[in-house]
Amino acid sequence: MAMVVDTKFESGFPCWTSVPRRFRPDSPFFASGNIERELLAKQVALDITEDEKHQLENMVVEDARGVCCPIVGCNARLTSLEDFEDHYHARHTASCSVCSRVFPTSRLLSIHVSEAHDSFFQAKVARGYAMYECLVEGCELKLKSYKSRQQHLVDKHKFPTSFEFFKKTYPSKKQRQKTQRRKAIDNKEASSTMEVEDETIDGLVSAVSKLSTSDSTPSSVSFGRRHTRGLTFVPRTVQHQR
Amino acid sequence: MADDGLAHHRRDPIKSSVGNVAAQRRRQNAVTVGKERRESLVRAKRLCRVGTSGDSEVSIDNDMMIDEEQSILETQASSAVEELKSAVVYQGKGAMQKRVSALRELRRILSRSEFPPIEASLKAGAISFLVQCLSFGSPDEQLLEAAWCLTNIAAGKQEETKALLPALPLLIAHLGEKSSLPVAEQCAWALGNVAGEGDELRNIMLSQGALPPLARMMMPNKGSTVRTAAWALSNLIKGPDPKAATELIRVDGVVEAILRHLKKADEELATEVAWVVVYLSALSNIATSILVKSDVLQLLVERLATSNSLQLLIPVLRSLGNLVAGDSNTSCAILVPGHEITDRVIEVLVKCLKSEHRVLKKEAAWVLSNIAAGSVEHKQLIYSSKALALLLRLLSTAPFDIRKEVAYVLGNLCVAPTQGDAKPNLIQEHLVSLIGRGCLPGFIDLVRSADPEAARLGLQFMELVLRGMPNGEGPKLVELEDGIDAMERFQFHENEDLRNMANGLVDKYFGEDYGLDVSTE
Repeated sequence: MAMVVDTKFESGFPCWTSVPRRFRPDSPFFASGNIERELLAKQVALDITEDEKHQLENMVVEDARGVCCPIVGCNARLTSLEDFEDHYHARHTASCSVCSRVFPTSRLLSIHVSEAHDSFFQAKVARGYAMYECLVEGCELKLKSYKSRQQHLVDKHKFPTSFEFFKKTYPSKKQRQKTQRRKAIDNKEASSTMEVEDETIDGLVSAVSKLSTSDSTPSSVSFGRRHTRGLTFVPRTVQHQR
Repeated sequence: MADDGLAHHRRDPIKSSVGNVAAQRRRQNAVTVGKERRESLVRAKRLCRVGTSGDSEVSIDNDMMIDEEQSILETQASSAVEELKSAVVYQGKGAMQKRVSALRELRRILSRSEFPPIEASLKAGAISFLVQCLSFGSPDEQLLEAAWCLTNIAAGKQEETKALLPALPLLIAHLGEKSSLPVAEQCAWALGNVAGEGDELRNIMLSQGALPPLARMMMPNKGSTVRTAAWALSNLIKGPDPKAATELIRVDGVVEAILRHLKKADEELATEVAWVVVYLSALSNIATSILVKSDVLQLLVERLATSNSLQLLIPVLRSLGNLVAGDSNTSCAILVPGHEITDRVIEVLVKCLKSEHRVLKKEAAWVLSNIAAGSVEHKQLIYSSKALALLLRLLSTAPFDIRKEVAYVLGNLCVAPTQGDAKPNLIQEHLVSLIGRGCLPGFIDLVRSADPEAARLGLQFMELVLRGMPNGEGPKLVELEDGIDAMERFQFHENEDLRNMANGLVDKYFGEDYGLDVSTE
């Protein structure tokens, strides 16, 4: 594979560099053309049907393209990129029946359901139990608060600091301005725009119940992307009949 | 499944009274033979069914052999070898005729089906008798038949081809200019099959001096001998060791012959010669620089423009690609923007992008990506050419491997040439325009694919967008196309490099301050 060797710049990000790519003649890059060569040569002598030709091409191309699912802990091996997409969509998109957010594994889904929709969970939190599981499979650590779990993810597992497991919907600008105005007008009502960072237990509980049914403005960084569109993937085109 | 299709196509029903077991065995055999068939079809070896002397009383029987018929063939092979043995030993009157008949019989058996009874022949000791028949001074007919048998034996599996080792020096010797053309051609064919087996055998052949005579055979203007020699040469120099390619380009008259054939030969010969150029340009820097200084680019462009034969277009396009990729002189000195040759190159690449053939589209995009990796003027040239609209369309609709190459082209258009260690500059004009024409979803799609190289490419492009779009529009645009979701996938991804890249971007551009700036909407 001719991976471009990028130098890492100040941010550490390997920026796109514009360089030519050269391949050796036996590189997998040229495989389909090589196969085509041999098939075409023998087609004349042996009169292969179009059907057989397609099968042959698919056989080789698929061998070259077998993929392993890259999600940690998933050992699935797929024979083609199309299969991979189907697999990913089936296995790694679990949706919540209460609020229809989508998660890449059923484990994360169940964590979400406990934390967002289970009052029993909240009751235990209130009593001081360490209920917030670390999101990384295999870590097994449990923390007492959402925030401390958050910190653990950043410190131990190098999650980005802006990561939010619990979708804190960023309301649109209009929404925010509206909210600000309402807040100014209506001081007594503490109900609007409850942020998850509010540590009071009541706050948490009411925030949970509010956020779980909030609107569908596009999310910022978090898991549990609302499944507003039909497909995760852009549908692949149908391949040309040759 | 599909194998049944293979087994039953074009066959008359076989009269058979055996029961289920035999039928099952036949099916199983069909499956194995079907698999073998597939493998043999993609091997770089070619079976000789019709003689080089044009003697074609052999009826070409293409159908698959089933159980009974295959074993009949094997028995026949064994007895033919026995016949040959006694013919070789026999010294009396009519010995030559006897030998030729025995050889012919064996040759017929080895040419009849797609799966010659190679193993049976070898077991019976065919090689040593065939080698004896290749001795110097033997009559042409004998040499021809012996070489033909060896050709088909060499078309089999690895160990079978290796069995030809004792015959190699003689086969090479009969390539000489004093040999009759059909004999030389048949020997070249056999050697081509041996060379197609693997680099171990190639190295042996090279050390035994196979290259110069084959190269000389490629020099006449026309004839099937020239074509067979070119094919054999392409197998011989395909590497991975570049020494054969370097040796070939140095043979007197080779470059001239290559150019002549690329210019004037019929498509079949031009195809084989083009493959020789493919390997020369991919393996040997010396060959590449010699070729580049010649007319070859012009000739390759001509062929790309005028031919519609996929068989020819593949190696011609690839040769062009190798020359562009291998030698920066090509881009800088010859494909200068504004020169006619450069415009023609873009034109023919566009033609290939429009083709219905996947290989042509993919490799044409690859060549364009390398041209786009040149100077700013090269990028402007491609940007303002007919290629751009095509590329944008392919980015959303083509199969994955083509989309990846197209991504390289488009990304290269947006980034200035690297200068030393500094971070390369963006070409904002191109970036803004391409984003405006809807290329971002295609890149984000790549981020979602299973291929780490493609995902990396997509993330790198996203970084360009996030960093380079004016007025800080980048993050919004990325978010709109579900780019954040695509990056989130990497949070539990096993590839650390991709995880860090994605997390880094999210951290930097979608941090806590995201969306809360005071600018007016």
